[in-house]
Amino acid sequence: MKWSFKQHSVIPGFSLALGFTVLYLSLVVLIPLSTIFIKTAGLSWVQFWETISSPRVLASFRLSFGASFIAALVNTLFGLLVAWVLVRYRFPGKGLVDALVDLPFALPTAVGGIALTTIYAENGLLGSLLARVGIKAAFTPLGIVIALTFIGLPFVVRTVQPVLQELDAEMEEASACLGATRLQTFCRVILPTLLPALLTGFALAFARALGEYGSVVFISGNMPMKTEILPLMIMTKLEQFDFAGATAIAVVMLVASFVFLLLINLLQWWSARREA
Amino acid sequence: MHIRTFFTDARHSNKQRSTSESRLVRWLLTSVALVFLSLFLLIPLWAVFSQALEKGFATYLTALHEPDALAAVRLTLLTAAIAVPLNLVFGIAASWTIAKFEFRWKNLLLTLIDLPFAVSPVISGLIFVLLFGSSSLLAPWLSAHNLHVVFAVPGIILATIFVTFPFVARELIPVMQAVGTEEEEAALTLGASGLQTFFRVTLPNMKWGLLYGVILCNARAMGEFGAVSVVSGHIRGETNTIPLHVEILYNEYNFAAAFAVASLLAMLALVTLALKKFIQWRQEVAAGAAEYQ
Amino acid sequence: MSIQVQHITKQFGDFAALDGINLEIPTGELVALLGPSGSGKTTLLRIIAGLETADGGNILFHGSDATTQSVRERNIGFVFQHYALFRHMTVFENIAFGLRVRPRKLRPPKQEIADRVHELLRLVQLEGLAKRYPAQLSGGQRQRVALARALAVEPTVLLLDEPFGALDAQVRVELRRWLRRLHDELKITGVFVTHDQEEALEVADRVVVMNRGRIEQVGTPTEVYDQPASPFVYNFLGNVNLFHGRVHDGKIEIDSAAHAGVTVGDRDTAATVGYVRAHDLDVDRVAKDVSSMAAVVRHIHAVGSSVRIDLTLQVSNEPAEAQISRERHEELSLSVGEQVFVTPRRVKFFGDYQI
Repeated sequence: MKWSFKQHSVIPGFSLALGFTVLYLSLVVLIPLSTIFIKTAGLSWVQFWETISSPRVLASFRLSFGASFIAALVNTLFGLLVAWVLVRYRFPGKGLVDALVDLPFALPTAVGGIALTTIYAENGLLGSLLARVGIKAAFTPLGIVIALTFIGLPFVVRTVQPVLQELDAEMEEASACLGATRLQTFCRVILPTLLPALLTGFALAFARALGEYGSVVFISGNMPMKTEILPLMIMTKLEQFDFAGATAIAVVMLVASFVFLLLINLLQWWSARREA
Repeated sequence: MHIRTFFTDARHSNKQRSTSESRLVRWLLTSVALVFLSLFLLIPLWAVFSQALEKGFATYLTALHEPDALAAVRLTLLTAAIAVPLNLVFGIAASWTIAKFEFRWKNLLLTLIDLPFAVSPVISGLIFVLLFGSSSLLAPWLSAHNLHVVFAVPGIILATIFVTFPFVARELIPVMQAVGTEEEEAALTLGASGLQTFFRVTLPNMKWGLLYGVILCNARAMGEFGAVSVVSGHIRGETNTIPLHVEILYNEYNFAAAFAVASLLAMLALVTLALKKFIQWRQEVAAGAAEYQ
Repeated sequence: MSIQVQHITKQFGDFAALDGINLEIPTGELVALLGPSGSGKTTLLRIIAGLETADGGNILFHGSDATTQSVRERNIGFVFQHYALFRHMTVFENIAFGLRVRPRKLRPPKQEIADRVHELLRLVQLEGLAKRYPAQLSGGQRQRVALARALAVEPTVLLLDEPFGALDAQVRVELRRWLRRLHDELKITGVFVTHDQEEALEVADRVVVMNRGRIEQVGTPTEVYDQPASPFVYNFLGNVNLFHGRVHDGKIEIDSAAHAGVTVGDRDTAATVGYVRAHDLDVDRVAKDVSSMAAVVRHIHAVGSSVRIDLTLQVSNEPAEAQISRERHEELSLSVGEQVFVTPRRVKFFGDYQI
């Protein structure tokens, strides 16, 4: 019993369930995903480097990371606000608003993409208002940030909301008793408690934004060097049957995703430890 | 309704307390949040339906009755009908393994199940092109047997299965972990067999989580765009799902038709959200009943 | 049905949960496994049930080896600590479950199942609650449903894991008397786990005191309380005073008071500890004999059927506790700060044992 793979249990079906789980996981996820790394291994360093350091690809790296970062930042700020309002205040239609927050999860990205493009185009409902003050949204990096904000919106709200709900009211009362103003209580007591959830939400929104394709391709206009995001670069390379180039970009994106996945796991481990 | 009672504190309605903000701040924060949500959620949703009906209801119906649109609907339904049950069976097996047993490498398994969430949809499509495409190792064998995976229906289904892979498992694992193993042990002490235990005790306990997972999995399966776009040949009436059909119509500047078809997906999204809310409400009722003694 | 536990060992990583357990439970007895948390009592119960497997040793039911039998084959009734009621089933369905999952050939007809469930509901005094769900029951009611469910399959052995642990004090006392009466009626071999000494002493025919994966003592409640086999049992059952002393010239000296007639072997000047129950410590104004010790009254708790007096021994500064009757208390009319003499009526010496 000193070293065993599994603790004894009377509940049956472990081997069958584990076997099926691992088999299906391997067939559907692991083997297909490994093709990327096998393909990359077949590339020479020069080939790899040439692909990812070409000016057009570099521009899309900058754009994808930059726009995703800004969108995630916007979502962190407003996501906190929305979570706060949903948990702390009462207003008519709150249940409906709460349900609607998940819309970007449920709405197919292509639908979100064409809807946002229509609204933010120069002749669109909001685009025309922005045009009047000289701001172009659709077919510019701003449009990309808008689309990425849309698809990342639920992440911060949904990570912060439960933490805010569980927040001990006595902590805030203690802070008030000790003479802190409401703003001081928020900044020094509430915000630090929410920090792990906020960071997790940020990382989730960022990771999602980095890989997003459907909602962005319509609003971005896809101009080389200006509004081409990374997934679109993969798409373009594929259309030119440049599998090596597509794979090279994909590997960089995958590694970035895995780093985020690791980061998110670490954050959750950190917050779990803080709670215990 | 007066503003006085309009924006109130959820915890203690009327009195201003030391642990609440002033009415003005509350009003301001709520307004900003609602404006933000309107800009990013409400207006786009409204835009889909208003654009769809811009040229009248007759045009709307025509767009939906068009043979290519109907073919896209059929393909989307077929894809979901294959991907969702497969991922459902996987979800049950994975959650049974992870929630009911203690074993080594469990956390690794959990992370691997989440993997497709971390992969860009475009890459999810790309891997199947690399695996089954013209430059792959399997290509000679596939062409010798006249099998078409990429740029054909099997590719679309495979990519959809990959993208929707974690949904059911992710919903079921926490539900099953929360239930624990005592009820299964009790069933076994009372003489139930493994299958009897599963169908009479485990399954009824996880039915809401199961439904929830299936709904989310289905919404994504029907709405997936990026991954499917890579492996689809974009052949009208043959390898177009609803989202791809929307794209084609939109790129042809046939906006009314594009939004008409898109409105189907938007309605699916709204139904998904409504069901999700309903399930949450059911679970809260159940939790509330559990607290009553 | 009798249960024999032979050389059972169980290891969790580096931790020895059970270390060579031997135990005989005769037919029809109700036995308590008593011990602190981590003593291995629940593990032993689960191994008897077949919910856990032992690393070594055998479990015999009525003389025949059941070690390799699965939990389904053992025909035991198990009542879980948190009841493990099926939350999506009514009380009726919960109790009927064990009968309904039987293979078709062995399954009683519907009417018979219904009759049996109603009979059990009467037995556990829950008639009229058959259609309720577990969530709509109080803790005590859930406990009784769990018991009825376990009894429905007519088990040969009834095993209960901390049966009253999750209940509040008042319900707990009521329910354990009820369980005792029920056992007297049914005469089924029963084993229950508890960490509450009062519960074990009141309900069980026989108490098994466990500590760190070993059995410290097996005996009737009177035996384990009056003749503890080890310092651990002394300490675990009831309030006890510890007096540190030395062996000198074949006598034990505590606080310079001599205790003659106690044999502790010939190890002269060895350290030893005397154990005296609070109600075995007499309090007087004058020294009664050579074993009396001077002490100062620190506090008097005069609530309840007896009076508890906190004292400090004068020489060693050790605290002590005496329990005297109300009459004796009135007779003495002590006050805080007063000097008195305490005399142990019964002392048990063990070697130097640190708790």
